[in-house]
Amino acid sequence: MIKVQDLQKVYKLTKKQMSKNNTREPIKAAVDGISFEAHEHEIFGLLGPNGAGKTTILRCISTLIKPTAGKITVQGHDVEQESDDVRKNIAFLTNELKLDVNFTPEYTMFYFGSLYGLSKEVIEQRTELLFKQFGITSFRNIKIAELSTGMKQKLSIAVSLIHDPPVIIFDEPTNGLDIITARAVTDYLTELKNKGKVVIISTHIMSVASKICDRFSILLSGKIRITGTLSQILAATASSDLEDAFFRLYSENVQEGI
Amino acid sequence: MSNLLIVIRKELKRVFDDRRLVFTTFILPAVSIALIYSIMGSMIGNMTSDIKSHVPSVYIQNAPADFQTILADDSLKERMELTTVPQGESLESVKSAIQDGTVDLLVVFPEDFSAEIEDYRSNRDVPVINTYYNTSEDYSRNARNILFEGIFKQYENMIIGERLGGSHYANAFDVDKGNTQSVIVDERKATGKGLSTLLPMLIVIFLFSGGMGIGMDTIAGEKERGTMATLLITPVKRETIAFGKIIGLGIVSIISAASSFLGVIISLPFSSVIFGSRTGSVNLGALNFGAAQYLQLSLIMLTLVGVFVGLIALTSIIAKNVKEAGTYVVPIYMLVMVSGFLNMFTTGTPTTVRYAIPVYGSVVAIKSLLEFELAWLNFGLCCLINVAATAMLIWVIKKMFNSEKIMFGI
Repeated sequence: MIKVQDLQKVYKLTKKQMSKNNTREPIKAAVDGISFEAHEHEIFGLLGPNGAGKTTILRCISTLIKPTAGKITVQGHDVEQESDDVRKNIAFLTNELKLDVNFTPEYTMFYFGSLYGLSKEVIEQRTELLFKQFGITSFRNIKIAELSTGMKQKLSIAVSLIHDPPVIIFDEPTNGLDIITARAVTDYLTELKNKGKVVIISTHIMSVASKICDRFSILLSGKIRITGTLSQILAATASSDLEDAFFRLYSENVQEGI
Repeated sequence: MSNLLIVIRKELKRVFDDRRLVFTTFILPAVSIALIYSIMGSMIGNMTSDIKSHVPSVYIQNAPADFQTILADDSLKERMELTTVPQGESLESVKSAIQDGTVDLLVVFPEDFSAEIEDYRSNRDVPVINTYYNTSEDYSRNARNILFEGIFKQYENMIIGERLGGSHYANAFDVDKGNTQSVIVDERKATGKGLSTLLPMLIVIFLFSGGMGIGMDTIAGEKERGTMATLLITPVKRETIAFGKIIGLGIVSIISAASSFLGVIISLPFSSVIFGSRTGSVNLGALNFGAAQYLQLSLIMLTLVGVFVGLIALTSIIAKNVKEAGTYVVPIYMLVMVSGFLNMFTTGTPTTVRYAIPVYGSVVAIKSLLEFELAWLNFGLCCLINVAATAMLIWVIKKMFNSEKIMFGI
């Protein structure tokens, strides 16, 4: 389980950033007092426009950055105190994480598998499974530099899952993928959920979210506006679908001047 | 397999799988250094022999008969092209030819030189022979300072000998005449001494430059390309990543430096003059290093590599990209070179404190080692300082890996 309590992440702005953001405030709260939980057998969706704070939350959960305030635990491990244990338990996928283009997919899987302490046999087994799942087998021995964006994205997903962790955190997982691979990814996430994994995804594609997520949080300007299942959110916002619900909350947000 | 080994193997695979990197890091240094040093050595050798074989053009005015007799000697005749300037004729055209480099030397005797010499008992001021030469021309300088210095000495001895009643009276003693065993030298120390001027500087430069390009690529490049963050998301400890990168880079740096030395060794038949050889060859075998010396040299170099790759890694981590890393690393590279240069022309026994200065202390230690004068205490101190500096750098690098501002620019 992932437990986020009163998470706050504040960035200090440089003068250049202050002028770019058109503000005189030297600090910016990217995420401000956020709490939610994501459970086993569940896909939890963080929905919001660019700059809402989705990636910041996922980075804090995955220990890449430290929260300014609040507490996060992953499978009972505190992200600040037991960051190594947290990293062992998660698969984290985001656009910023890239693979060394000088190696082949086969070696990359072996390298990361070894870093997670897996035996050669387990790595081979997991590699076969994931390569088959995401259609990587045909280019497993071609240098990553020569692969297309979609092929690289597929490989990134496979690499992140090499150690079969209990928690999967995917930031915009279908970005850059063709319709067939995007479907393969969403199907696989559902499969992982059914196997009892905790899955968190962030996305701004409402159709993807409403199709695969069990519960959602809608984020606007660093704050959670609503959390619940699809039916709870639709009822609370008197909307017919998730996109409508999002835009209702978005216009309320604009009116409140947040 | 431990994570440290995994990281090191990956770093080495990254380099050795890339033909371009293998060529630029391991093959190009050997080839280019062998070529550059051979050309430099040959040119220096050619220059020296050219000066030696050049027949200087010498103009002379008012030369007394006995001086002309000396110049007429067969051995000297061949060594210069002599032109006599008639008495009273203007010397301006000759002086301007000296300035142009077409004439090498003008020697002007006073008109009454012989009379003044003969009148030496009553004349308190000795006559002055004036010479005119061009210090910016090697041929001219050589004609004045080597050739004529000897001729003037011979002429003066001849005059003094005549005054004393016989030329042999002017020769009070000879030095080392017929003494074939005059030079007593420990050949290995002499070889070491010759190498100790340039070699310590080359060692530090080769070690640093060997790791510089790849270091910037494996750290700043990985950061720029986003592959470092992928590594940081694994459960591997930050210090293991830092250590792995430093060791991997250190191995690359040592192999690259070895390639550079191979280049130097290949060039030795032509470049020995650069390494202080007077005989025209450097006999590395004459160094005859014992196990202790090899151990000392290896440990100094190994610990120094730790400092170098630590510095390269640290600057590469602070930089946002490879280009920025380059601007940070170059000043450090220059400091390393200055440490090498500073030590080139020092004499005497260095004080212990100098061994404790990071980088510079290692240069001092390698120089002392080549001169067979490195005390175990100073050797230990130098290595200890290097190890401490490396440990400190790794500690700072680990801190940097945990810094959001450094790693993600936020």
